[in-house]
Amino acid sequence: MTKNVLRGLRAVALTGTLVLATGAAFAQTPIKLGVLEDQSGDFAVATIGKVHAIQLAAEEINKAGGIDGRPLELITYDTQSDNTRYQEFMRRVLQRDKVDVVFAGFSSASREAYRPIVDQFNGFAFYNNQYEGGVCDGHMIVTGAVPEQQFSTLIPYMMEKYGKNVYTLAADYNFGQISAEWVRNIVKENGGKMAGEEFIPLGVSQFSQSIQNIQKAKPDFVVTLLVGTAQASYYEQAASANVSLPMASSVNVGQGYEHKRFKPPSLKDMYVTTNYIEEIDTPASKAFYAKFKAKFPSEPYVNQEAENSYLAVYLYKQMVERAKSTKREDIRKVIAVGDVCMDAPEGKVCIDPKSQHMSHTIYLAKVGADHSISFPKVWEGIKPYWLGDAGCDLTKKDPMAQYTPSNPPPKP
Amino acid sequence: MDIATHIFSALYQFGDAFAFLVLSACGLAVIFGMMGVINLAHGEFIMCGAYVTASTAHVGLPLPLAIMAGAIVAALVGALVELVVIRHLYDRPLDTIVATWGLSLIATQGTLILVGSSMAGVGTPFGSFQVGEYSYSIYRLVLFASALGVLGGLYMLFNWTRFGVLARATIQVPHMAAALGVDTRLIYSLTFACGAGLAGLAGGLYAPTMTLVPTMGATFIMEAFVTVVIGGADVFLGTAPAGAVLAVVKSVMTSWQGQLFGQIGLLVAVIIVVRVLPKGISGFLLRERT
Amino acid sequence: MNGLPGFLRLLEGPQTVGRGPAFWIVFAIVFAMACAYPLFSDGYTVGNTVYFFVWVFIALSLCLIWGYGGSLSFGQTAFFGIAGYSYGILTLNFGSAYGFTLVALVLAIAIAALFALLLGYFMFFGRIAGVFLGIVTLAVTLMLERFMAQTAGPEWRIGVARLNGFNGMSAMPPLTIPWPGGDIVLFADIGLYYAVLGLLLLVYLGLRILMNSAFGNVIVAIRENPERAEMLGYDVRKYQLITFVIGAALAGISGVLYTVWGQYITPSSMGMTAAALPLIWVAVGGRSDLTSTLIGTLVVLAAFQALTIYGSQYALVFMGVLLVLTVLIAPNGLVLGVMNLISRLATRRSKGDV
Repeated sequence: MTKNVLRGLRAVALTGTLVLATGAAFAQTPIKLGVLEDQSGDFAVATIGKVHAIQLAAEEINKAGGIDGRPLELITYDTQSDNTRYQEFMRRVLQRDKVDVVFAGFSSASREAYRPIVDQFNGFAFYNNQYEGGVCDGHMIVTGAVPEQQFSTLIPYMMEKYGKNVYTLAADYNFGQISAEWVRNIVKENGGKMAGEEFIPLGVSQFSQSIQNIQKAKPDFVVTLLVGTAQASYYEQAASANVSLPMASSVNVGQGYEHKRFKPPSLKDMYVTTNYIEEIDTPASKAFYAKFKAKFPSEPYVNQEAENSYLAVYLYKQMVERAKSTKREDIRKVIAVGDVCMDAPEGKVCIDPKSQHMSHTIYLAKVGADHSISFPKVWEGIKPYWLGDAGCDLTKKDPMAQYTPSNPPPKP
Repeated sequence: MDIATHIFSALYQFGDAFAFLVLSACGLAVIFGMMGVINLAHGEFIMCGAYVTASTAHVGLPLPLAIMAGAIVAALVGALVELVVIRHLYDRPLDTIVATWGLSLIATQGTLILVGSSMAGVGTPFGSFQVGEYSYSIYRLVLFASALGVLGGLYMLFNWTRFGVLARATIQVPHMAAALGVDTRLIYSLTFACGAGLAGLAGGLYAPTMTLVPTMGATFIMEAFVTVVIGGADVFLGTAPAGAVLAVVKSVMTSWQGQLFGQIGLLVAVIIVVRVLPKGISGFLLRERT
Repeated sequence: MNGLPGFLRLLEGPQTVGRGPAFWIVFAIVFAMACAYPLFSDGYTVGNTVYFFVWVFIALSLCLIWGYGGSLSFGQTAFFGIAGYSYGILTLNFGSAYGFTLVALVLAIAIAALFALLLGYFMFFGRIAGVFLGIVTLAVTLMLERFMAQTAGPEWRIGVARLNGFNGMSAMPPLTIPWPGGDIVLFADIGLYYAVLGLLLLVYLGLRILMNSAFGNVIVAIRENPERAEMLGYDVRKYQLITFVIGAALAGISGVLYTVWGQYITPSSMGMTAAALPLIWVAVGGRSDLTSTLIGTLVVLAAFQALTIYGSQYALVFMGVLLVLTVLIAPNGLVLGVMNLISRLATRRSKGDV
């Protein structure tokens, strides 16, 4: 208990000491990186690791000589899982702290809350999070995975292995509805059919009726797109009612490490496509995990968002050093060349200049009866193709909007 | 599918919703319904019970004992909170909104700092059973039985025991009770602790079926408040029928139109019931009886 | 103050704390400072102060309904949200030319007030009171939140404005004042600051006059004893309804200004946490007086934000402790407690002089 308190206090002091300890070595002005993440409130489960990953990357970069000789300084605020805090602190980092770049946001609502402010003050923000896709905004870089990367791999695999009858259980808001739309389209393209679709309001924790609906529809597998800690209760309740259908998901395990939090075998036969989880057994991943655990020994889990945040710092370093500038316009010229890539813990990743989203190595993780993870399949270099195909081209035009498959960019 | 399967399924869904509403609400019914303290930290007492249950179960305590431990610890915490904070606020119940909101902030964030962002679950016991083409969790029947048990226990406590009679006397006319030699302070403390303990019991009972995170109490709080309010001041005559009415509305709407309408239906039912019976269900029943 | 026209005499009276030249001199100094301070400050601080001001209106609405009227409304955020969304829908459809944003502001507030009229009629003429009123209003705001959260699909649109579900509606234009030779756009900066400050002054003084008028006295009489007020011949329900509608309009002002400030409105503005916060501000400041509500809200907002910035993960714990201590130490609210203390000291000293 005391150790935890100490860890907290150290985290408080960290931002300051990081610069103090290494700052003496640099004569030049630091590059300021604003960090707005939820360190308390409902989303903290999945996001504390993101802050730690950014701290880890910043420490490594400063030890190795900074970005282009300039130290990296973190300015961190706790947004408390509250949209209004994002609005307050996004203004603060842009206007008061005058940061060069901001890493911000977990929920899509928080991103949409701060995005008008970033656009208005001509800021530059990284959203290091898996989400429903579609943000076409020159002020934003998205390093998380999007539906086409996760579902165009996952759904055909599941249909081939288990059958063509699919049931979707999704959170009843933008992420769940848009993801469900993707699943529906991909199932149809592959000659399958939807046995049923059900949407669950956020914050609901009781699933008896949904469990019965699923049993009635008799699908071959269930796509669970449940979000938030309350909705995760579904797995335990489904297991205790002996539903025992295979499950497919793009959010669970990789984000909220449900397989660590629930008692086996409630997540048995869950398949997840993710661009990173700590069990990935490559040398790069193992090295990253070891470094993370050395710095934060009590970290419960290193999830995909932590890895996204970690690699984003290095990606930013590369872009600034190539652009010889921290100005957004100069950095976007580098992105427009189309070869901003790096070897991340997950494998090689590249930024797509049209949408400023990122290509990923997608791992198919399977949860076993004892909640151990195996990887039946890996896809390399999966591109975020949809926005570019639909007509978003940030190298030509910046609409600063979010699109969805049923609400695509206007045709020129 | 035969008709019996349908009937069983409807009854099961009703019982499930009823258990959730009644167990969430019982603790609040005592603290809010009887004492008038608007306890916004109710969810955090539930969380406390769930956390204690899970951690004692991890150490190896059998689940029923672990649930009892959760209830007892929550009751002790409740007694402490009453002693330090609530005791000073009985003459201005509206201020308890602010105080208990503060307590709930302290409890959620304190738990996050001390215990971490989540806790491993304990797993649901007992397995499942099959009726027709559906399989059901046996533990859900245990929850329903517990809800009935708690209601029965409360009825006996407040009607048949000396403490219950003194508590009702104290809460209805405090100065009269005090004049007759009742230690009203002690009665208030015990009643508050009893409510907190019931919340802890709800947390303990639901701990095996839910995600254990510091903010888990929030999922109970709305259901708890609406059940208590439309129930009115009497725990047994209010909470039980309110739970039954709302459970019917919720389970029917959910199975007919999905979870969103289950939730909205619940809220609409509250507004209608309050409009028709401005003193809640127990107020109506008591007036009819006299 | 005898030389003043009649209604200005109502600026001070039994229902509001603060009277006499000393109070108004302090008031004038504070207002002058508020007017001058953007000249010495940076854009961030000014924008952030506007943000604090935005919430004062919803706090004043609760002060009116709860503090003076005695009816606890837990759902002022419903009107906040309705007005915010209405502004978004109107301006996204009709644009910001010819000062339409100002028309939209008024219309949005009117829509919120109209909704309050219907809801208030339903409640007050159904004799719903006390904690039941609180729960009904809470149920309404939660229902709106749940409903809006699931409107992500393209079928949920009004004209060209998409409701956009839980992610919230954005891209509505800021307030624009038509002006010969180029419209003045009020971004969340000095322009919006003076506009909101002016509005705040008007609303504050207007509410002072209202509360010290015959209407205000009836409202307070109803709070103290509804039966007695009814016996004296006042239609309690009508007075409560009018108060409720005025309060809803004030909450609506907050909603529109919030939407304008961040060019964003979201269903969580109507959620449980959002609904509880105004209660906290008002109760901490002292709910039974306009001035203490105003100061208290600003103090709590600034203190909580500062705690979040400097308190790291302990911020929420400190806030909790602060709230508990406030309630235990200052039963009438922190600001009202301090103001009463000051006036008591002042009277004692003046008595000593005599």
